[in-house]
Amino acid sequence: MKQWRREELEQRRAITSDDPLELLKRAVVNYDEKAAPKAAEQVIRQNIPPTKGLEAMTEAIRFIGDGFDIGELWLPDLVGAAKAMTAASDVLEEEIKRKGQEITALGTVLLGTMAGDIHDIGKTMLGTLLTAEGFRVRDLGTDVSANQFTEALEEHRADIIAMSSLLTSSAPHQGKVIQALRDQGLRDRVKVLVGGAAISQEFADQIGADGYDPTAPGGAKLATHMMEGGESE
Amino acid sequence: MTEFGFKRNFPPLEILSEGDVKDIHKGILDTLENTGIRFESEKALEILGDYGCEIDSEKNVVKFPPFLVEESLSKAPSSFRLHSRNPDDELIIGGDSVYFEGSVGMRAADPRTGERFTPTLEEDIQGVKVLDSLDNIHSLVSYCPYNEIQGIPDALRYTLNAAVRFMHSTKVARTASVSGSGQFSMKMAHLCGMGIDANVEPAPPLTFYKDAIENLFFACEVREYQDFPIRFGDGDVMGATAPATFAGSLVTSSAEIAAGIVLTQLVQPGKPVYAGHFVYPQNMKYGHPGFGGIEYGLQQAAFNQIWRKCGIPTYDAGGPSYVLSKNIGYQTGASKMQNLMVSALSGSHVIVIAGALFAELTWAPELAVLDNDICGSVGRFIKGFTVNNDTLALDLIDQVGQIPGTYLDKAHTREWWQKEFYQPKVWDDTPYDLWVERGRKNALDFAHERVEELLSTYESAALLTEKQQEGIEEILQEAIDHYQAKEMLTEDEAQQFWNTWNSVYHQ
Repeated sequence: MKQWRREELEQRRAITSDDPLELLKRAVVNYDEKAAPKAAEQVIRQNIPPTKGLEAMTEAIRFIGDGFDIGELWLPDLVGAAKAMTAASDVLEEEIKRKGQEITALGTVLLGTMAGDIHDIGKTMLGTLLTAEGFRVRDLGTDVSANQFTEALEEHRADIIAMSSLLTSSAPHQGKVIQALRDQGLRDRVKVLVGGAAISQEFADQIGADGYDPTAPGGAKLATHMMEGGESE
Repeated sequence: MTEFGFKRNFPPLEILSEGDVKDIHKGILDTLENTGIRFESEKALEILGDYGCEIDSEKNVVKFPPFLVEESLSKAPSSFRLHSRNPDDELIIGGDSVYFEGSVGMRAADPRTGERFTPTLEEDIQGVKVLDSLDNIHSLVSYCPYNEIQGIPDALRYTLNAAVRFMHSTKVARTASVSGSGQFSMKMAHLCGMGIDANVEPAPPLTFYKDAIENLFFACEVREYQDFPIRFGDGDVMGATAPATFAGSLVTSSAEIAAGIVLTQLVQPGKPVYAGHFVYPQNMKYGHPGFGGIEYGLQQAAFNQIWRKCGIPTYDAGGPSYVLSKNIGYQTGASKMQNLMVSALSGSHVIVIAGALFAELTWAPELAVLDNDICGSVGRFIKGFTVNNDTLALDLIDQVGQIPGTYLDKAHTREWWQKEFYQPKVWDDTPYDLWVERGRKNALDFAHERVEELLSTYESAALLTEKQQEGIEEILQEAIDHYQAKEMLTEDEAQQFWNTWNSVYHQ
């Protein structure tokens, strides 16, 4: 059982500091989308390596994620923290790119809900949880076609494609994405995870996905497991 | 004609003050006027623009003048009929009528273990026959009982569901709008002399996608379908696709429905519509819908009150039906009964309930039989009772007097007890010793036996003619051609479909 105390959350939220890295962490645990990018700009102004800023936020969002795992925090907390982190990440990543540096992350995940399906709650949750796990997440939105996935794969050099379907009618499109990856010689470069209420393990096996989980929290853990070299069970 | 459906014989439960209703109604009009609704349909945008709505053609967002909304709501009838080829199964929607509807699961479940499996076409047909046999179930939802069936390609699921329902049941049904399947369901309904709801579901928040709008146009513009009502169903999730508050989510969900009704009344003035509700909280731990909680009942009660003011019948699209228990147990019954009772008391005209086990994901015929009994219980409650000289029985009370007097041997008891008491068909009411002697059976055991009994004695009230059956197959072929042209169905899948169909219907 993880050690997690609400008192610590309150302390983290109330911390006073001039250190931009501490301010970044404070913005994340307070779900403050406005303070987070301002703190990121301070990081850059003070010549602190922007990767340090990303690391600080990852530490903070893991703390929130741990609170979620043990049932003390809830999805709105997780989503709030992730949004604050994303707002600051955009600033820091831009600076990393400008300096020609590499972004360190557990991996990059492309997310999308399939063509013909407009449900995106599960996908939004997965994106948040993946961020908390330390992934870079590129959300392609809803109603995403096979070609949009393969094009985005090249652009973002993604390690994982994660697709969700709530509607049974949209589930077959997941197979089409995998087929498009094969046709374009990209299949070996990426792991494919599928999920959503319409999907089953049998279906995942049938279309040749690398992993399946029906829930977003399970999907995030599975992605981490895969990046650490594990296989889907 | 025998009595079909229930009537609520007392005023509906009202939980909002008049001021609350006015505030929510104003919130709906404000949202439609200031925030607007996104319509992914050029045709809808054009029509709404022609009638004075403000159109943002970049975002496809329509803003509605309040007078147009009020005028459109007033054009929709407060009651209407849904015909069946068996006149005994006709529904009269509106007023104090209450009907219960067969529900859906994507796949089948073992009712004891919750283990999921993909049913055969034969099992799907059996599910329809069970629902058709249940005395307290009056209509069938769009893809009930199962949606994922062995040997049926994905593109044809909804059309197959409609075909099976029309072949084996005379209870009126609902279309799905997924991938244009509604047009085939409506065609089958017309062919079989059946009523059907055209299902039009917005995609919250505040959006209508193309499939839903196409179903609306089919139901309004094709002359043969103009008697079919449109059933709008919101589907907002509190805290995810709608505000977490009851008042706020009632505003967004009702704004979506009102926008759909405006479009409908512009295309076909006087078209019958229902306002369907399916708003539930987000489960904040796992992210799935928070089915089965009492929040649903609270939503539905308020929703019924708001729409009653507009004179538009309401449909409870599944709050009592969907639960999060995986097998049949205490949680299943408690979740279903609490929301079913609230829904019926507060004035829903049709309530989806029977057979759905885990969310919309599994269905079991045993649960449909158990649900039939709670529908009977709720139906008994809303009927209330009569107070007159005969039922007050003052002369009899005087005649029986005190102990050792008894009412058991009186003609009055013989006349009244079966009218006044409701007797569930599969609840365990045996004395203890008899319960042991008969193998310690519970309601689920009795429900299983009842399923077998219903299937072994099943007789359709009105079979289709040979010509109608051929017509169903022609429509199925038309659907196959449609989906093949759209590249949603391969030649092999079409062949697989006919192999499955023929193995049951043309052995």
